[in-house]
Amino acid sequence: MRFLPQLLCLRTACVTLICLSVVSSAFSQAPEKSKLPPDHAERMAKGLVMFEQNIAGVLKQHCVKCHGGEKTRADLDLATREGLLKGGESGPAVVPFHADESLIYKLVAHLDEPKMPSEADKLPDDVITKIKLWIDHGAPYDKPLIAGKKPPRDGSVVSATDRQWWAFQPLAKVAPPANIAVPAGGNDVDRFILAKAAEKGLTLPKIADHRQRLRRAAFDLHGLPPTPEELAKFQTDASPEAWATVVDRLLDNPRYGERWARHWLDVARFAESHGFEHDYDRPGAWAFRDFVIKALNADMPFRQFTHWQLAGDELAPNDPLALSATGFLGAGVFPTQITANEVERTRYDALDDMLSTTSSAFLGLTVGCARCHDHKYDPIPTRDYYRMLSTFTTTVRSNVDVELDPEKARAERQAWEVALAPLKESVTQYEADLQSKFNTWAKAGGEFTAEATWTVLELTDLKSQAGAKFTRQDDGSYLATGTNGNHDTYTATATTKLRRLTGLRLEALADPSMPQKGPGRAPNGNFGLSRITVRAGQAGGEIKPVNLTKPQVTFEQNNSSLSIAASLDDNPSSGWAVDPQFGKDHAAAFTFAEPIDFAEGTQLNITLEFQVNGQHNIGRPRLAVISDVEPNLKADTLPMAVAELLQKLKANTALTDTERNTLFDWWKRRDADWRARQAKVDEHLAKSPKGTTSILICGEGYKPMRHHSQGADFFEQTFILDRGNTDRKRDVASQSFLQVLMPAGGNEQPWKVAPPDGSRFSGRRSGLANWITDVDHGAGALAARVIVNRLWQHHFGTGLVSTPNDFGQTGAKPSHPELLDWLAGELIRHDWQLKPIHRLLMASATYQQASAASDEDASDEAVALFVHRRPQRLEGEALRDSLLAISGKLDPAMYGPGTKEERSLRRSIYFTMKRSQLIGSMVVFDQPEPLISQGSRPVTTVAPQALLLMNGPQVREWAEAFARRTEAEANSPTDFAPTVQRLFATSLNRPPSNVELTEATAFLEHESASYVRDGNNAPRTMALADLCQVIFALNEFAYID
Amino acid sequence: MSPSLWSRREWLQRAGGGCGYLALASMLAQEQRASAAAESLNPLAPKEPHFPAKAKSVIWIFMNGGPSHVDTWDYRPELVKRDGQTLADFDNKTGFFPDAVGGLMKSPFEWKQHGESGTWAPDLFPHLSQHVDKMAFIHSCYTNSNNHSPALFMMNTGVTRMGNPCVGSWVNYGLGSVSDSLPSFVVMSDPLNRGLPKGNALNWGAGFLPSIYQGTWMKPQGEPIDNLKPPAALNTDRQRAQLDLLATFNKQHLQHSAAESELAARIESFELAFRMQAAAPEALDITREPDNIQKLYGIDQKHCTHFAAQCLRARRLVERGVRFVQIYSGGMDNQQSWDCHADLVGNHRGFALEADQPIAALLGDLKQQGLLDSTLVIWAGEFGRLPVAQKGAKPGRDHNPHAFTVWMAGGGMKGGTHYGETDDIGMRAAVNKVSVRDFHATILAALGLDHERLIFPFQGLDQRLTGVEQASVVKEVFA
Repeated sequence: MRFLPQLLCLRTACVTLICLSVVSSAFSQAPEKSKLPPDHAERMAKGLVMFEQNIAGVLKQHCVKCHGGEKTRADLDLATREGLLKGGESGPAVVPFHADESLIYKLVAHLDEPKMPSEADKLPDDVITKIKLWIDHGAPYDKPLIAGKKPPRDGSVVSATDRQWWAFQPLAKVAPPANIAVPAGGNDVDRFILAKAAEKGLTLPKIADHRQRLRRAAFDLHGLPPTPEELAKFQTDASPEAWATVVDRLLDNPRYGERWARHWLDVARFAESHGFEHDYDRPGAWAFRDFVIKALNADMPFRQFTHWQLAGDELAPNDPLALSATGFLGAGVFPTQITANEVERTRYDALDDMLSTTSSAFLGLTVGCARCHDHKYDPIPTRDYYRMLSTFTTTVRSNVDVELDPEKARAERQAWEVALAPLKESVTQYEADLQSKFNTWAKAGGEFTAEATWTVLELTDLKSQAGAKFTRQDDGSYLATGTNGNHDTYTATATTKLRRLTGLRLEALADPSMPQKGPGRAPNGNFGLSRITVRAGQAGGEIKPVNLTKPQVTFEQNNSSLSIAASLDDNPSSGWAVDPQFGKDHAAAFTFAEPIDFAEGTQLNITLEFQVNGQHNIGRPRLAVISDVEPNLKADTLPMAVAELLQKLKANTALTDTERNTLFDWWKRRDADWRARQAKVDEHLAKSPKGTTSILICGEGYKPMRHHSQGADFFEQTFILDRGNTDRKRDVASQSFLQVLMPAGGNEQPWKVAPPDGSRFSGRRSGLANWITDVDHGAGALAARVIVNRLWQHHFGTGLVSTPNDFGQTGAKPSHPELLDWLAGELIRHDWQLKPIHRLLMASATYQQASAASDEDASDEAVALFVHRRPQRLEGEALRDSLLAISGKLDPAMYGPGTKEERSLRRSIYFTMKRSQLIGSMVVFDQPEPLISQGSRPVTTVAPQALLLMNGPQVREWAEAFARRTEAEANSPTDFAPTVQRLFATSLNRPPSNVELTEATAFLEHESASYVRDGNNAPRTMALADLCQVIFALNEFAYID
Repeated sequence: MSPSLWSRREWLQRAGGGCGYLALASMLAQEQRASAAAESLNPLAPKEPHFPAKAKSVIWIFMNGGPSHVDTWDYRPELVKRDGQTLADFDNKTGFFPDAVGGLMKSPFEWKQHGESGTWAPDLFPHLSQHVDKMAFIHSCYTNSNNHSPALFMMNTGVTRMGNPCVGSWVNYGLGSVSDSLPSFVVMSDPLNRGLPKGNALNWGAGFLPSIYQGTWMKPQGEPIDNLKPPAALNTDRQRAQLDLLATFNKQHLQHSAAESELAARIESFELAFRMQAAAPEALDITREPDNIQKLYGIDQKHCTHFAAQCLRARRLVERGVRFVQIYSGGMDNQQSWDCHADLVGNHRGFALEADQPIAALLGDLKQQGLLDSTLVIWAGEFGRLPVAQKGAKPGRDHNPHAFTVWMAGGGMKGGTHYGETDDIGMRAAVNKVSVRDFHATILAALGLDHERLIFPFQGLDQRLTGVEQASVVKEVFA
C-alpha cells in the first residue's frame, strides 16, 4: 500500500494549525459544548500540565504501541487528541471533563471489558487516578504522542481538500504538447509519451517490422495469431494506410468482441452459478456474456453500455439485449440455503456485491470499504455508501422469456412445422389401416392378455395436514393447490376389488402450475418424501401396517440420504428427492412383503410425509396398485376407464362411439408399428422451437428467483447500518450518490428519474446511471478516465493508472495524467465509442514500437513510461484459442449456452463459468475466480501450466491435428523441411532459422525412429505431433513481442 | 523486479544449468539479490517466518458437517442430570430446524478419563483417546453462522461470504513451499462418493491471492492430479527429447528478447514439471509403506481403509515438504458427514469408526518418525451441536454456532492442555472465548507467522486472514 506524499503535503497546512492550538481546538469540538463546565479554560490549562508530566508517558508506555503506533487495534488511534475524541470501534475513547463516562477510563480501571492494557497487568491505582483527573480536566494534549503524527481524517464529511484529489477533478482541457512533433508513423498520443520520456532523456524506439506489429495487433484484438496469408498481404500493401487497414479489419471482425468481452467479464465477476453449497446453475446467465460481445462488436457507446448494465430493464424493457445487460448486477455469488437468522444479512451482502462491483467497474473506487466505517482513505462516508446502496433495494435476479432473435425464431418454427406434417400424416394413415383390425378384436370380445399392468387407484379421500387443496385430474392424479405447508403430510384412502395386490406405485407428476413445472412444490421444483407408509385391510374391517420392500425408482437425487430407500426409514431429514430432474414425471414402486388379498375388497390407507425440507411436497401424486405379478415400475398403466370398457366388451355390451374411440385410443398404443410412427412425431414435438429463450436478468418487478430461504427475497427499505450490522439500524437510506462527485451541497435530484405511474421499476438505477455518466456535474469524467485506462492497459500491458480498479488514494497515480484526460476527452468527443480509441492508441508509434531485444539497456523507468516494450504473456483463453486456431480445430460458433466440457472446440469465452467447476486449463493460467471485480490478472509461471502443455489430453489431440493439417498443406511425404517451414509460418509467422531447422529435423528423425520401433503405423505424423507440442510450449508462442 | 541486475548471460547460464527453482532462488539469496526478484520469479519460493516456530507444516483434518462437541471432546455431566428437561429461553432459530427442537439430551456415549491429563473422552474414540496427552484442546470456540457453507467459509477463510483466501493459501503465501516437485497445498475430500464439503472448492480457494496459492484438490477417483501422466503416444524418451528441443529453442529465443527473467523462469517450469511427474505418484503411493505401518493406520480394515489411506498419504506428503494438507471427514449431504440431524448415535459411531484409528495412527506415526514436532495436526469442524435434541424417531442434534471444541497436536502445542470452557450444558462458549479469528491467529503463530503482519494489498487495503477486527493468539496452548 502506498501513502501518497503529495496528498499529505496538501493537508499539512490545516493539520498543523489543529496541532498547535490544542486548547482552542478542544473548545471548537461541537459535541463537547453541551457538557462544557464553566471553568473549562482553567481546567484545560491544569490538564495540560498533567499531560506533560505524567499522562503522555503513561499513554506512550502502555497504550500507543497498539493504538496508533505499530498497530491501530479496535480502530483506535490515541496518538493525537483528535484520534482520542474520534475513538474507535466502540465509539469515542473519552468524554472530556467526564472520566466516569469515558471508555478509556472504564477499561483501564477494569470497570468494563475488555480490560486494558490488554495481556498485561492492571495499571497501578495511582496512575489510574491520574488518568481520571486528566480526563476530568478536559484530556488535553500538548503535541501528538508520536512525533509528526497527523490527526485522523474525519471520514464522515467530504471536505474541500478531499475534492482536490486528481481523480475527482473535471477533465483538464489539454492539447498534445505543442513543443513535441508527431513522430514518423505515429500520432498525437506519442507527443504526450515523448514529452515525458524527454524529461528522463529517453525516446521511442523505431517502429517494429510487419510481423511484430501484425502479431501484436492480432493477439491484442482477437487473441488469435494472424495467418501467413494475412501477413503476406500486410507486407505487400505499400499504401500509407496499410497499418490502419489492418487495424480496421481486425476491429470489424467479430473475434474482436469475443476477445475484449473477456476483459470486461473479469471486471464484472461474471459467472453462471450461485456459488455456496449447492452452486446451482443460473440458466440463461450466458445472455450477459453475449450482450458484452455484441455491444463491443457493434461499438455500442460506452455510455449506453453502462446504462444498460445498470438499468436496461428500465430503459428498454422490450429489448432483449438491454435485459441481458442487467446480468451485470446479478452475476455475483449468492447463497441458496439461507436460515432465518441470515436472511437480512445475506440481502445486504447481495446489495453490497452490486454496489461494490458497480463502483469498481465504472468508477475505479472501492466504495465497498465504507460498509462498516467511513472509508479510511477516500472521501466516502458510510452514509454515502448506504444512500448509494439503496439504489438496488428492490433489485433482484429473475428469469424472463425473451425473443433473442425473432427472425431466426420464425424461420426455425416454419421449418419445424414443415417437417412435422408428414410424420403426423404417417400416423393418421396407419390408424385408418388399423381400424378393421380393432373391430375384429372388439367383436371377438376384446381379449386382453392379463399381463402386468398398474391400475390407478380412485381415492375416496385425500387430505393434506397443512390444508392444501386437491383436484382430481383426468388421468387419476390429484393436483395440489393453495397452502404449501412447511412439512406437510398427505393421507389417502382407496378401496379396490382387485385381488392378490403385490405392490404399490407412487407417481410424482410434473405440472405447468408448479415451480420449474414440479414435480415438487418447493421453489426449485423439488420434493422430499421423508416417509411413505401403507396400511391395509378388508374394506370396513381392521387396517394393519403393510411392510414395503424392494423400492424401485425412475430417478433419485443420490443413493443415500435422498434416495427412495430413505423414504422407508425413520429419519425425517432423509427421503426421496429428484434434484435436478425437474419438469419431468417421476415414479417409485414398492413390493408388499406379503400379497394383500381380500375377497370382499381391500381398503388401503397411504400416508406420505414430507419432512426432508421446507415446502418440499409432491404437487401432483398418483397412486396405483398391481396384482398377481412381481411389481415392475416400467409396466403399463391401465386407466380405470379402460378397465371398465374391457369388462363391457367381455359382457358383449355395445359401446357408444365415444367409448369406442376411448378404447381405440388405448388399444392402438399396444401396436408396435403405431408406436414406432408416433415416436417419430413425439421426438419431433419435443424439439419444438420455443421461439423464446429464458435469460437471467437483474431488475425490478419481475418474479424473483426463489431459493431455499427461510425469509423474504428482498426488503422494501435499505437502512443505514452501524458497523454494517443489520441489528444496528439507523435511518432509512434515501437514494443519493457519492458527495465528492457531486457539486458541493449534494443535490441528487438532477439525475433522479421518476418512473411513470404503475411502472414495475423504481427508476433508481437509471438515476445512478445518469450520475455515473454525467461528465459535467456527476461522475462522468472519472468514468471516462476509468474506461480509457482499461483500453490502454490491455494494449500496453499496464494502465496509465496501474491500478485499474482503484483510482483512489491507495491506488497508483497516473503516469501521464494529461494523456489520460486527453484520451477521456477523445472518448466523449467520439460519443463514448470505443473503437475510435482503439484506433487512436494503435496508430501511435508508442504502440507500434519495436519490442526490445533485451532488458539489458532498458530501465524500469523506460518500461513505466511506455518507451520500452516487454513481451506480454498470453492469457489462458488466448493461448488455448490460438492452439485451436493453428491446429485447424477452432469452432467459430458464437453465442448461446456454453459448455463445461474441456474438449469443447469453441473459443474459451464460451466455457460455462460454474463457480464450483471452473475449467482447469483456464484456472491454471491465472483466470481469476469470479467472485469480485478484477481489474487485472496476475501473471504466474508454475509447473502445472507446463504439465498441461506437456500432458493435457486436448493439447495432444490438437498437436496431432496441427501435424496432420501441416502435412497436408506442405505435401512433402519424404522431406521434413517444407513441413517444418509451414509449421513455423502458421504458428510463429516466420521461417525457422537454419539452426532451428537442423535441430527440428534431427528431432523428427529421432522421434519417428522411436515410433517405428514401437510399431506405430504413422511414425512421421506422430513425430510431427511431438514437434507441434514443442511449438505450443515455446516461450515465443506464449509471449507476444 | 529489477532485471537489469542480471545480465542475459548470467540468466542463460543459470537457466541452462538444469538447476531447479529452488536452486535458482537460493542462489539469488546467497548473492544477496533483492528477494523481491526471487519472489516475483517464483511466488512459491520458501520464505522465512516472522519469528522462529516449531511447526513447518499443517495437517488439518476437517470434521465436516460439525461434530457434536458435547458428544466428542467436551464432557458435560450436567446434561446427564438435566436430560429431557426443556431448555428455558431457547431461541428456536439457533439451529436449522426451528420446528424440531426437543429437550436437553445427555450424551449417549460412555465417557472415561484418559492419559496423564485425565482428559474425558467418549467410547467413540478407542484409539484417539490413547493420544490425548498430545492434544491441546480449545473448548470455547464459537463462529458466526448456523448454516453449513457460510460456517465452512468462516472456518476456512475467516469470512462467512464466499471468495476469500483460505488458511492454507495464506500459509503458502506467507511461507512458500519447501518441495520443488509437489504441490504445496493438498486437499483430499471424501472418496466414498458422498460429495465435497458444502461450498465446494471455494473452501480451498485462494480468493484475491494469486491462484497458485489455492489448494490442489486430489480427485478421489481416477488420476488424483490433472495432467500428471504423459499422453499415451509419448514415452519418457520421446518426452525427454521434446523437452530438450524445447529448452534449446527457448534459450535461443531468450538471447534476443526482453523479459528475460520471466522467460528463464518459464524454461525452468518445464523441468520442474518433468520432475513432478515422477515425484507426485511416488509420494501418493502408500503401497511403498511397510505392512506394519499400513496396518497401524487401518488400511486392512474395511470400515476405515479409505480414511487410513488419506492419513497415510498426508504423512508422506508432509515428510516430502508439502506445507499444508487438509483432509475432509465426510461428504456433503445431511447425515453423509458429521451433520447428525437424526440418529446421533448411528451417525457419530459411523464416522468415528472411519476416522478414529487412522488419525490416532497418524499422530503415533508422526511422533515415531520425528515429524510431530514440526507438523501441526488440527482436528476441527465448522461448528458444534446443540445440547438439546433434534426430535425424531432416533434423535439427533442441530447446528450450534455458539460453541465447539477443536484440538491441535504437535507443532509446538502443549499436549494435554484444556483451554476455555463452555457453560454447564455446552450451549455457549463461556470462559476464555475463542473466535475463529483467534483460532486462525493461533494456527499462523504456530507456523511463526504474525497474523497482523501477514498482509496482502488488495482493493486499497492491507488484507489479512484475521480481517480488521481484533484477533488474539491463544498463547496458552503452546508448550
